[in-house]
Amino acid sequence: MRALEPWVEAPLAGFLAESDARLTLLMTSSGQVIAQHGFTRSLDVMAAAALGAGILAATSELARVMGLPPLDAVAHQGKLLGIYLAAFTTPRGRWLGLVVYGRETSLGLVQLFFERLVEELGRAAPAELPARQVLAEDFEPELNRSLGALFGR
Amino acid sequence: MPLVNFTTREITCKLVYYGPGRSGKTSNLLYIHGRVPEHRRGTMVSLATQSDRTLFFDFLPLELGVISGFTTRFQLYTVPGQVYYNATRRLVLQGADGVVFVADSQARRFDDNLESFQNLQENLLDQGVDIRQLPLVLQYNKQDLPADLILAPPDLDDALNFRAVPSLPADALHGSGVFESLKALSALVLQRLAVPR
Repeated sequence: MRALEPWVEAPLAGFLAESDARLTLLMTSSGQVIAQHGFTRSLDVMAAAALGAGILAATSELARVMGLPPLDAVAHQGKLLGIYLAAFTTPRGRWLGLVVYGRETSLGLVQLFFERLVEELGRAAPAELPARQVLAEDFEPELNRSLGALFGR
Repeated sequence: MPLVNFTTREITCKLVYYGPGRSGKTSNLLYIHGRVPEHRRGTMVSLATQSDRTLFFDFLPLELGVISGFTTRFQLYTVPGQVYYNATRRLVLQGADGVVFVADSQARRFDDNLESFQNLQENLLDQGVDIRQLPLVLQYNKQDLPADLILAPPDLDDALNFRAVPSLPADALHGSGVFESLKALSALVLQRLAVPR
């Protein structure tokens, strides 16, 4: 498991143990990854987060356009695997969860323990935001070197 | 603001390529995808129509390397340019840390550029973001076309570049200006995380 901030880890570990989910991703509503479990490459996590955020955003917008109450959760059920996507509010803003589960559990259990996860995250979130200034003043030469290397220049 | 993981020392930035339909936003990402080593990029996700127009977004995650001790990643998105896809453009723009506005340099697309740029300002404003506060780079694409078909960068600057942000000529199909645009925007976005001078 990897998490952006340590306070997310315990609630997420509890959710994983209880729900028996295979992959779990927490992200901001703009698709930035907060925490993840079960992915092998960080770059794959980013693609999954972008698509998950896109699906939920499109679903919410569709509900709004059709004059429906907000739709904060979507479930896709396949033969072997299912996907549960849900939006929720935390003290740090609106987050989204993406859960992939197999036959060892069920959508109902995932939903039940996901609701608990949301409650526990709400209790665990510290009031203070982390500091913002992180890079050294002279970061630009390093940036230029990294970009140059990336593009083979 | 870019997302910073202090525990694992990682920075993730969301960069959006915006502009009118067929201006070359997806071409920028395709060029980058083709040039960057496989281990430094993820799968390029393209949600497109049957005629290959972007329907929702294109997405390309990049791993830049270590900057000031932080592993830095970029999430590159394009928006659909066609006028009628505004709802999806707004969704993709959410939480953007910076924008490359890809203008089509062809003289006949002048009004489309203006309309798209105004649309960018409106969509940002809807999300409570003042375009003057957002890192922005203008890319004047298709500068490789015959001179009688296109507007020169100074003319496009007069029409679009009120804030004197970085502006770059480009030929995204062949790569000219693509790297430079990404570099210019990256620097602007990361400057916000740097210790003030």
